[in-house]
Amino acid sequence: MGLIELLHMSVFSQSFSPCGKFLAAGNNYGEIALFSLSAALGPDANELSQKPILTFTAHEGPVFSLLSTDSHLLSAGNGEISAWSWAELIKKNVKAAWTRRPNYKSSLEIPEINAMALNPADNSLAVGGGDNNVHIMDLENGAFKSVLQGHTDYIHCLSVRERASEVLSGGEDGAVRIWDTRTSQCVHCVEVYKYETCARPQHGKWISCLTTDSDWMLCGGGPSLSLWHLRSMSPTSVFPLSGCQRQATFYQDMILTVGEGQCVSHCLMGGEVKAQIPCTPHSINTLAINTNSTEHRVLTVGGSSDHIDVFTNLSYKAFSLRF
Amino acid sequence: MTTSLYNFIDAKDKFAASAVSALAGRTSKPLINAFNQITGNEAEKKTTLDQSLRGVLGDQIVEQKASCDEYLALIYISIEAVTEGICSATTPFLLLGDVLDCLPLDQCDKIFSFVEENVSTWKSSTFYSAGKNYLLRMCNDLLRRLSKSQNTVFCGRIQLFLARLFPLSEKSGLNLQSQFNLENITVFNKNEQESTLGQKHTEEKEDGMEVEEGEMGEEEVPATCSIPIDYNLYRKFWTLQDYFRNPLQCYEKFSWMTFLKYSDETLAVFKSFKLDDMQASKRKLEELRTSAGEHVYFAKFLTSEKLMDLQLSDSNFRRHILLQYLILFQYLKGQVKFKSSNCILNDDQTAWIEETTKLVHQLLKEIPPEGEKFSAMVEHILNTEENWNGWKNEGCPSFVKERVVDDKPKRPVRKRQAPEDFLGKGPDRKLFMGNDELTRLWNLHADNMEACKSDDREFMPSLDEFFAEAIEQADPTNMVEDEYKVVRNSNYGWRALRLLSRRSPHFFQPTNQKFKSLADYLDSMVSKLAKELPKDIPSEEIKTGEEDDDDNGDNLLKESNDSPSMQSKMVSNQQMDDVAAKLGAKWKTLAGQLEMKASELREIETDSEDVDMQAKLLLVAWQDREGTQATVENLVSALNAASFTQIADNLSEA
Repeated sequence: MGLIELLHMSVFSQSFSPCGKFLAAGNNYGEIALFSLSAALGPDANELSQKPILTFTAHEGPVFSLLSTDSHLLSAGNGEISAWSWAELIKKNVKAAWTRRPNYKSSLEIPEINAMALNPADNSLAVGGGDNNVHIMDLENGAFKSVLQGHTDYIHCLSVRERASEVLSGGEDGAVRIWDTRTSQCVHCVEVYKYETCARPQHGKWISCLTTDSDWMLCGGGPSLSLWHLRSMSPTSVFPLSGCQRQATFYQDMILTVGEGQCVSHCLMGGEVKAQIPCTPHSINTLAINTNSTEHRVLTVGGSSDHIDVFTNLSYKAFSLRF
Repeated sequence: MTTSLYNFIDAKDKFAASAVSALAGRTSKPLINAFNQITGNEAEKKTTLDQSLRGVLGDQIVEQKASCDEYLALIYISIEAVTEGICSATTPFLLLGDVLDCLPLDQCDKIFSFVEENVSTWKSSTFYSAGKNYLLRMCNDLLRRLSKSQNTVFCGRIQLFLARLFPLSEKSGLNLQSQFNLENITVFNKNEQESTLGQKHTEEKEDGMEVEEGEMGEEEVPATCSIPIDYNLYRKFWTLQDYFRNPLQCYEKFSWMTFLKYSDETLAVFKSFKLDDMQASKRKLEELRTSAGEHVYFAKFLTSEKLMDLQLSDSNFRRHILLQYLILFQYLKGQVKFKSSNCILNDDQTAWIEETTKLVHQLLKEIPPEGEKFSAMVEHILNTEENWNGWKNEGCPSFVKERVVDDKPKRPVRKRQAPEDFLGKGPDRKLFMGNDELTRLWNLHADNMEACKSDDREFMPSLDEFFAEAIEQADPTNMVEDEYKVVRNSNYGWRALRLLSRRSPHFFQPTNQKFKSLADYLDSMVSKLAKELPKDIPSEEIKTGEEDDDDNGDNLLKESNDSPSMQSKMVSNQQMDDVAAKLGAKWKTLAGQLEMKASELREIETDSEDVDMQAKLLLVAWQDREGTQATVENLVSALNAASFTQIADNLSEA
């Protein structure tokens, strides 16, 4: 990997292994790199332990989305979804378990897949991308069960509301749609940019970040990041963050969010920004917390840099993993 | 008289007995009595008393029946004895030393309180010089016995007592050479082998004995810590303590580089990891206060890896570290006499220290609670430290100010003379302005006021100069046409008016003539002036306004010939008589000129038959009417107008 390539690298997605000891990160060159967290966090860590133990090319286009099931790593690139066995990957055996492609209407251009979400209730995978539709795939037999149509522009992000068995999708058209997976119908459609408190016309109307906590939903992008109460479908707090947020997550009683801007923002449910912790990439695409392991419970962020920052303590950057 | 041999044993016994009775009665009288009774010289008796007191105390201690109060009473009696002069001054101190040496620590506390209470006694002249070394030794012995972490308060009391006892410049209490406590080493896990985390406990376990170290049980799997640890930061952070322990390392290049690197990293962490505001910490503080009762337990740094996160989130801990930085910087930058000559910072180092000091202060300000106040306080204290440092550098001079002996008579202070060329007081009285041109300009004239008044600053032309042309034009013989007359020029006219107002009395003459234009008015003025001009106008500046307003302008012309003194002279009685005599019957003619009313004339006629008298009455009436205006000149002009020129001349000559 030449220096120029490293300079232009962007990390788009991350996923932790089920055992919690490894981190997989996907970049814009279509590569996936595997980092050993136990080595990097151990007392005898050195420069080498911050490099990946395995790097392989997974897709032709950028790897926009990575997701881990109990045994497999799912990666989504240009229109296709590949599955890799974690056990094999740890043994540095690079062979995809399977690769599937949703049914796209037109065969001329292959739409990219931007987001994937796992619905553990019925073991299905929701996939959203450039063809404005959400495809639901059954993980057991690999068949695409249904297509959720409704968005008028490509889909940025997906989230699953387990309790109610709903899928939420946010797209470039500024709409957040809530779909019932059983009936494949759109139950709600919220156009966030139409709400004055959240709208930021200077940025646009797209929704690039969506996450849900059963009762609450965080969404943001062009409009400000806002916390919504799902039952009443109204925004309760709006966060005064200047950039467009690309990923947000609920963690303990805080909200961690990343996006444009060289920092990780810690926010409180009430709407205030508690802290902004500086990190290496100037613009951050992905944020992940290793909930699979207690001793390696770190926060990692990746963005427009070949460095992935690791936070052992949420309030300062400990070190960086490098591609 | 033969001097009998002094019987020491006997005296000692006697003193001992009296000491016991003194103790029983809590008074030193028995001792004094005994002292007086025993024969022998002072010195011998004193030393004997010392010995006996010590012996009594020793017995008491050995018996272990007496309480602290007893010991204290004995010592108190010995103090009294010293005051009475029967005992040498060192005895109380020796007794104290003995007691403290023989008692356990908890009882020493009480004895020490006694010592503390009597500071004033120790400081008094009788005791001080004799006892201070004993006291110092005694306190040091006590300090050695005490543990700094267990008996912190007692140690503190002893230190405070010493501070009160000795003057500020007492050298034994000072760290004169600014040495560091090099034994103050912070222990931490430098490398992975030493870390007890994640390792299987390999020691053999004795039966039935629970091994509790490191939370290892009988598990096969090595117990791991439950949180991720930033070993990198951990190691760098605690390595810094070594630099604080021994600042002289910083002067070596390699050590300095390491220090720099680690400090930058640590301070970056402090910077990015901002501390939570108050909510949590306030509650914690209150809890601490209530439970520990204002005692703050400071453990020397606990360096376990697991505590790193907690320590970083604690404000007090951060304040400790940041303060260490500031103290270190002050030492590195400061002038200390005992630093060797190669301990100098180069420019880069100085620059880095400056920058980092600012950062540290900023971080201190951000630490709740009351960061700003803390930072300001710290700055103030460090500034004061500079003074102490300077004081030590000078060899710790005493703080007692000597009374100044005023024996030199005050010499009258000679007033320094201004330098010669200063402000024009020099010989050639020239002002030097520093610049040639300015000097020239300023020295044109010595006195500005005079310069302004000088004649060559008169720019106003005289009437004849200005109006010469106009007068010439007005002369009909010259036959100048109207439109070419200079008086038609508006500019000329305006200037003419201004000049007339300044110089000519005609300007203020009220006149019934109505002038259609300025030119016409000026024509008349010019003609008037023409009449005047051949004669000399006496004064150029005629006072305006209040000039005597006679009706006839011609009168003015005539009057101007008169000498000024004549003009305002009042007509005297004598003059009036003369005039009246000369007037005679012709007074009525003058009356016309004097503008007397017909009624007044009739009155005069009826008043007197005599013509002289009537003339006199006329003049008197005129004088009454005119008042101050009854001047000679007025009368003269009236006489002239009435063709009494002769009389007028006579009058004016008078």
